Amino acid sequence: MIRVEGLRFGFGAQEVLRGLAFEVRQGEVLGVLGPNGSGKSTLLKLLRGALVPGSGRVLLDGRPVHRYSRRALARWIAVVPQAMAVPFPFTVWETVAMGRFAHRRALSGPTRADRAAVERALAWTDALHLAGRAVTELSGGELQRVFLARALAQEAPVLLLDEVTSHLDIRHRLQVAELLARLNREEGRTVVHVTHDFDLAAEISHRLLLLGPLGEPEALGPPREVLRPERLHRAFGISVRVEPDPLTGGPRVFPVLRGPQPLQLDLDVHVVCGGGSGGEILRRLVLSGARVSAGPLNRGDTDAELCRVLGVRVVLERPFSPVGERALSEAGPLMRGADALVVGPVPWGPGNVRILEAVEQALEAGRPVFLVDPRPERDFSGHRAWEVLRRLEGLGACRVADARELVEALSGVSAG
Amino acid sequence: MRVPGPPRARVLWPALVLGLGGAFAFSMWAGALRLPWSEVLWILAGGPAASPTHGAIVMRVRLPRALLAALVGASLGSAGGAFQALLRNPLADPYILGVSGGAALGAVAALSLGATSALAVPAAAFAGAVASMGFVYVVARAHRGSPHTLILAGVMVGSFCSALLLFLLWAAPADPARAAVFWLAGDLSGADPGWLPAAAAWASVAFAGLWAQSAALDLLTQGEDVAADLGLDVGRARLLLLACGGGLVAASVALAGLVGFVGLVVPHAVRALWGPAHRRLLPASAALGAAFLLVADGVSRTVLAPAEVPVGVITALVGAPFFLYLLRQREGRP
Repeated sequence: MIRVEGLRFGFGAQEVLRGLAFEVRQGEVLGVLGPNGSGKSTLLKLLRGALVPGSGRVLLDGRPVHRYSRRALARWIAVVPQAMAVPFPFTVWETVAMGRFAHRRALSGPTRADRAAVERALAWTDALHLAGRAVTELSGGELQRVFLARALAQEAPVLLLDEVTSHLDIRHRLQVAELLARLNREEGRTVVHVTHDFDLAAEISHRLLLLGPLGEPEALGPPREVLRPERLHRAFGISVRVEPDPLTGGPRVFPVLRGPQPLQLDLDVHVVCGGGSGGEILRRLVLSGARVSAGPLNRGDTDAELCRVLGVRVVLERPFSPVGERALSEAGPLMRGADALVVGPVPWGPGNVRILEAVEQALEAGRPVFLVDPRPERDFSGHRAWEVLRRLEGLGACRVADARELVEALSGVSAG
Repeated sequence: MRVPGPPRARVLWPALVLGLGGAFAFSMWAGALRLPWSEVLWILAGGPAASPTHGAIVMRVRLPRALLAALVGASLGSAGGAFQALLRNPLADPYILGVSGGAALGAVAALSLGATSALAVPAAAFAGAVASMGFVYVVARAHRGSPHTLILAGVMVGSFCSALLLFLLWAAPADPARAAVFWLAGDLSGADPGWLPAAAAWASVAFAGLWAQSAALDLLTQGEDVAADLGLDVGRARLLLLACGGGLVAASVALAGLVGFVGLVVPHAVRALWGPAHRRLLPASAALGAAFLLVADGVSRTVLAPAEVPVGVITALVGAPFFLYLLRQREGRP
């Protein structure tokens, strides 16, 4: 339906878009993502024929888009602009009826079809009750819905939307998302929407186009292929975690906040934890940039679950079973290969105390070991674990009070 | 569902007809010589006058004068409404695009050159108005002709013209300078009634052109990008609107000099009362502009009778406080 070929555009010497090529298929929802200044708005202007490409072409139904008359184009493409104040007090009804301009003959009043289209558009956008209000008295969110209604009244097969959800509260954001999905599903409308809302884009788009900071295409494809941490890092310069949505399975993007001045640990660290004792330790180590491994842990253990989310390499034992030979021999190389070993405040019992013995071997092999808040109260193995812990301390293991102190202590360890 | 109309829509036309009729009657009655209402109406209806003087005053002096005031007021009111939409500024003035400067320069140049023919001054004013608007349009079009550049170019052309104007006034002998001041203030006494038919025809065509573009004006208030996305050929519409609106302003300037505030206040008041849709706003502004200038002219002829105050002084004295009142109303809104 819309084909973009070798599209380049610049303002003067400043090149804003560099070599875009893609196709928007009929009945497709395409989301366009990218950092500020990546040319999203410029791309939208080129798609709706407001700018003429520097080189390359934008084809609508096989014809260059800027060759269409404005009137003909308005019957093909309806644009929803970002909400901005209107200085003239038109009513909501009058404003939405402006969407019918391209369908009306000069000097003729609104026809029955015009009225029906306006009413339908107002109903779709939950704005019927606003019909008689002046647009100068509306809130930003209400105004945005009115502009959406105006575009819907245009009854064009293609909808272009420019960050329309950024002014809306959560309820109306969801309503607009559902409306776009419905227009697409039930009426086969093609939708191209520029947005900063990753989750919403992933939810309603068939494909996403991710633009890099210099207006170069970074990725184009289904949401789960485009919304990858490394791609988002290249485009936005941020660290994110991407997880499947528990309900829909679609990708969810979680930006990772860093502290004001995070310690940078260039270390391989192996963590012995379990039963939730490793939570804070694992999080802080991952945030500080250390390459973390953990285990052995029972499958289904809270810490094992956290490791999966954080992308920490973990050695697993069967659920609720004592740690066996196989898991220990798998964990051994990780322990001996690490720059440092961390033993969390784990409750010790007959099932896991053998891990401590493996730690002791690693310590004897020269690996530095850190004990986070070791206490005899957590020993349920009949003093066996506490004895090993005491022995470890005697051999030079370092005792720290909590995860924060651990990270500081680790910053003194040099990578090997 | 019932289409929600603008507030007070039902009383719009009756109110305007009544207002216009009342203003016309007032203008016919006002003047140095007090004629009874009944006699004025009788003469207007074609009855024989009690005295030939009275007949001449009503039919040859007051009637053309009233028609002239109505024509100028209607032109300024409707052109002002169109320019406010075109420039996306509800407080814009029809003179904002350098029209006043160009027209004044033309008129004063003709006066100070000692023009003798009665047609010379209005013709020069008309030429000056059209030339300055054309210049503003060409300059602004080089920068995509956005409202912004149009206004800036208009202000600059206006300033340039008024500098030349001041020089001409400084250099001119006393008599033409006094005539020029009258003209600059806005004055309905100078026009020849013989021009009325031609001026009315001209204004009707220009107004029809504006009115036909009502929907385009509605769209332009939403911003040029939005108007284009909704299917409007913005460049063409803008040229048409500037030509028609400019034609109306140039004609009224040629007939009556620079009558201020009608084009600013009238459309603003209409919008506040009956909403901004131009299908209604343009004719309503024309009617209300005509009524306003009829009343102002009547006042200008009676307040210091038998002397006549330039009508532009009256419109400014009424218009400026009213405009400040409107501004305060606007401030009160969120």
